[in-house]
Amino acid sequence: MFFRLYLYSIRQTTRQKLIMFWSLIFPIILGTLFRAAFGEFLNEEVIFHQIPVAYVAEEGASPAFAETLKFLEEDSELVEVIASDSGEAKKLLKEEKVEGIYYSRESGTQESGNITLTVTKQGMNQSILSSILEQYQRVFRTMHQISRENPAGIKEAAQVINQQCRYLKEGTISDTPKNAMTDYFYALIAMNCLMGVSMGLQIAVGFKANLSDLAARRVVSGTSRLEMILPDLLAKITVQFLCTVFAVCYLMFALKISLGDKFGFVLLTTLVGSIVGIFMGFFIGAVGTYRESLKEGVCICSMMLSSFLAGLMVGNMYRFLENHAPIVNRINPASLIVKALYSLNIYEGYDRYAQCMASLLVIAAVLGTGAFAMIRRERYASI
Amino acid sequence: MTKHVIEIENLVKRYKELVALDHLNLTVEEGEVFGLLGPNGSGKTTAISCILALLQFDKGSVKVFGKEMQPDSYDSKKQIGVVLQNVAVFEELTVQENIDYFCGLYIRDKEERKRCVEEAIVFSGLEDFRRFYPRKLSGGLLRRLNIACGIAHKPKLIILDEPTVAVDPQSRNRILEGIQKLNQEGATIIYTSHYMEEVEQICTRIAILDKGRCVAMGTKEELKAMIKTGEKIHIEVWELKAEQLEDIRRLHHVYQVDYREGMLEIRCSGGKHNLIHILDYMTRQEISFGRVYAELPTLNDVFLEITGKELRDSAE
Repeated sequence: MFFRLYLYSIRQTTRQKLIMFWSLIFPIILGTLFRAAFGEFLNEEVIFHQIPVAYVAEEGASPAFAETLKFLEEDSELVEVIASDSGEAKKLLKEEKVEGIYYSRESGTQESGNITLTVTKQGMNQSILSSILEQYQRVFRTMHQISRENPAGIKEAAQVINQQCRYLKEGTISDTPKNAMTDYFYALIAMNCLMGVSMGLQIAVGFKANLSDLAARRVVSGTSRLEMILPDLLAKITVQFLCTVFAVCYLMFALKISLGDKFGFVLLTTLVGSIVGIFMGFFIGAVGTYRESLKEGVCICSMMLSSFLAGLMVGNMYRFLENHAPIVNRINPASLIVKALYSLNIYEGYDRYAQCMASLLVIAAVLGTGAFAMIRRERYASI
Repeated sequence: MTKHVIEIENLVKRYKELVALDHLNLTVEEGEVFGLLGPNGSGKTTAISCILALLQFDKGSVKVFGKEMQPDSYDSKKQIGVVLQNVAVFEELTVQENIDYFCGLYIRDKEERKRCVEEAIVFSGLEDFRRFYPRKLSGGLLRRLNIACGIAHKPKLIILDEPTVAVDPQSRNRILEGIQKLNQEGATIIYTSHYMEEVEQICTRIAILDKGRCVAMGTKEELKAMIKTGEKIHIEVWELKAEQLEDIRRLHHVYQVDYREGMLEIRCSGGKHNLIHILDYMTRQEISFGRVYAELPTLNDVFLEITGKELRDSAE
């Protein structure tokens, strides 16, 4: 019986044009539009070049900053320092041969010296130069304060600062080329997975006799609801998963979007994402006696909100929420899918990926159990 | 010994302030076609929903095949076929697939199911439409599909809730004939309708519901015997004086006379040769008359006398 009901459910679902449009066609259209909108940005790998910067040291300038720049140039390969006088530096800046000028002047009161940065435009390189200066001044001030107030602790403080440096170097990063625009496609895949809410809602409505006549006919039949719901769930998950796989393949092979080289894990993520999407709709459909159209609205809003919070419409949303409301990123299914895909692409290890998948499975289990508990043996106050 | 298929005792169902079923008592015996007759809103569908354990009720008990009906009474449910008031089929499955789907919820054996589906298709006259999707079917064919989905598994008890609503006369006759055939094959039928002619045509026992109460129950003969009207006589009369009308009213067995728009309606309580007596009086009085016909009381008359309102005109 299970396999027969499963096949009928597959047939019934795939013959629904509207459902198939949203689950299969719409993500492909959106992906194509993204591709067209981002254009060549997607082909550019983020290759880091040393930032050329001029350094003008006036008489009496602190040697500490010069040492720092030397370290950043030789060890970190972050900047390329061109020592020059003020006139030459200005000329280089004007000709855009350097991104900025560090002026180091004598300062009677400031131990770190009077250091300023001059730039003529704003951009990532200028931001990095500014950050270097801020960081230098902050560390210098801290060390100076410690040496003044607690000279014995200066060694320990230096160790702490070194430790911070090591933290930054600890993460291993995969060889896959990265592109900031790829995040939009992760969010698109997440949205595609969550499109399953409509199918999930159909399952619930199909067993709520107060919402549909079809449900009444099924509920009064000689088969338990669990026996009917399970093949329906599995069939809808299958259809949604295949739709998402199709979209992923389209992104990877037709639009040439790089989603990493762990294709199997990407598919696993979309499978779990599809399960969460279906169970989300199933849960919303099972709650209360509200009419189907209202539940449909709630499903669509939930799916769109989840995708929005995962950065489908605004790129930095994930990082914004991480700073201001990290709990949202921990429980939002779309964010978890995005993070799982991101982790696969960025990190060599699977710890972060496994965490995301575990969270998604827990969400699916909670939603599925809740929905079934509400529908099981349900009798109605009115039909 | 007669077996009770359904026993309903003191069933009370309220929708907030509205009492949908008011201490309803019913028994349906094996092999009968039991009609639930009543206007819209009288509680027929609510009673059916309670029998099927779809609705919670406030008081009373419902037993089907001798067992208390619960949502998980699958043994009882397997022996029931339900044809709901509204068409309940999958729009995306063909006629044959729909029947097979629902039949499969009751019958697991593939060969047996195949045979049952085929028989249901033939029974409902859908042989030429087996690959059609429901949206391509006419209203009558859709109703037949609805019935086929409910009876394909050959249930012992078939509940049909107004299966002929919005159906053309040809399909209606076919449906009614089909129901009688199912009954002849051994199924017990519960048939709800507000069309008294249908109920009168096929039901062996009838319960009349009004405002959630069973106001009368019995065979159609028993129900008609409950009321005063034994015969209704209609005579087309162009002119009638008040004293002549009064004379007719005084005739033996006549208990009610109405004269409206040239039509005289006379209700007689039993007796024989009432028409002859009336026509004899009119001939003697030289009253001109046209068409004359007499009819026996209908279930509508029963309903009218018991509840004081027309069955046809009652609305939800």
